[in-house]
Amino acid sequence: MAVEMSIENLKKTSAADDFQDNSEDGTMNLIHVRCQQRNGRKMITIVEGISPIYSQHRIVKKMKKFFNCNGNVHKTEQDFGDVIQLQGDQRNKVKEFLVSCELAKESQIKLHGV
Amino acid sequence: MAEDEAIFDPTMKKKKKKKKMPFDLEAALEGGGDTQESTEAPEKDDTPKNTDTNETEKKSEDMDFDLDLSIKKKKKKKKTFDMDGMDDALAEIENAADGETQEAAKESTPAEINDFDADLDFALTKKKKKKKKPKLEDLEAEALEGNNKENEENSEMKDKSGTTWAGTERDYMYDELLTRVFDIMRAKNPDMCTGEKKRFVMKPPQVVRVGTKKTSFVNFTDVCKTLHRPTEHLLSFLLAEMGTSGSIDGNNQLIIKGRFTQKQVENVLRRYIKEYVTCHTCRSSDTFLHKENRLFFLQCETCQSRCSVTSIKSGYQAVTAKRAQIRAKAN
Repeated sequence: MAVEMSIENLKKTSAADDFQDNSEDGTMNLIHVRCQQRNGRKMITIVEGISPIYSQHRIVKKMKKFFNCNGNVHKTEQDFGDVIQLQGDQRNKVKEFLVSCELAKESQIKLHGV
Repeated sequence: MAEDEAIFDPTMKKKKKKKKMPFDLEAALEGGGDTQESTEAPEKDDTPKNTDTNETEKKSEDMDFDLDLSIKKKKKKKKTFDMDGMDDALAEIENAADGETQEAAKESTPAEINDFDADLDFALTKKKKKKKKPKLEDLEAEALEGNNKENEENSEMKDKSGTTWAGTERDYMYDELLTRVFDIMRAKNPDMCTGEKKRFVMKPPQVVRVGTKKTSFVNFTDVCKTLHRPTEHLLSFLLAEMGTSGSIDGNNQLIIKGRFTQKQVENVLRRYIKEYVTCHTCRSSDTFLHKENRLFFLQCETCQSRCSVTSIKSGYQAVTAKRAQIRAKAN
């Protein structure tokens, strides 16, 4: 049983992210892209888990330019690290952007929200 | 299929030979009839060729007329050969070839040499007959081959239907057995072996707007029951994914803060089913979830596989309410 478990865990990167979310090497980290509803149809996109070896501010600057929206980096006190906030529902665009800039692989990005 | 038949053919023929020895005469007669028919066909083919050559080689009308006569004579002679005995198609073709080549020569000397050619033809055919008469077995073999081919054609036609070897004396082939097995399986229990697994059918979520800023998920508990999951688990997942807050009210329906359509809820529900309900190895929905050392494990009832699933995390929540209100609440 234990063997099955370990093998099954090897296949999935998402199952192991509890242990590796805060590891220093940015290889196995998942990037969570969430969407939060504001008033009405307005949304906020929250990008979480981009490796700290990259400058979040510069990434945000480019994202703002590409997506035609505003955004900022929010430093959280909890263990979320630096979080990028963008105006509007930019989830798919964020995914494309991160993949095209080779900041993350497609398998590393996980989209959440409705 | 073609390769298989190629492999199977020799054995089949051998068996047939052994089995069908008593019926040899009939088979031979049939075979003889076939060959005669086949010999007639090439004759018809030959005549237009000759006429073509004649037309192309029109030098003088008289010569052509002679040639035509000679051809007619030839035809008659050939027919007599047929009457005499069985002719081979090969011999006919050879004759035809000879005739064509010799006709070019005949233009100079038409009539006399024609007879000579006929004699030559006689010799050729006779020789072959002599060779063949002692070897009746060859003829039998040919006839059998013809029958075999017919049988094969029939079998190919019947392969789709199922048991093809029932009436015949030949061995069954692997493909036929396969089709037979699957036919039986389909007949006995049509649900199991259709290849398609039973799809996981679920009622769509009923989502109703409550006021302007809240959404109600009416059949939330029913969905939880059909999925065999605790309501708290699904609740926490939905709220985390939607990035909102919510609660279950007195009528066992879920009230979510924010505006959501049925499609959006369905998408989230689908993701939940994919992650926490269906088995990751065999994709069956017959699973149960249990907690062990702060981790959730998904155990499959059908394939007994067990794997951990991601814990539900809501992540960072941005401040969406007005800050003044929060401050007012805090104070």
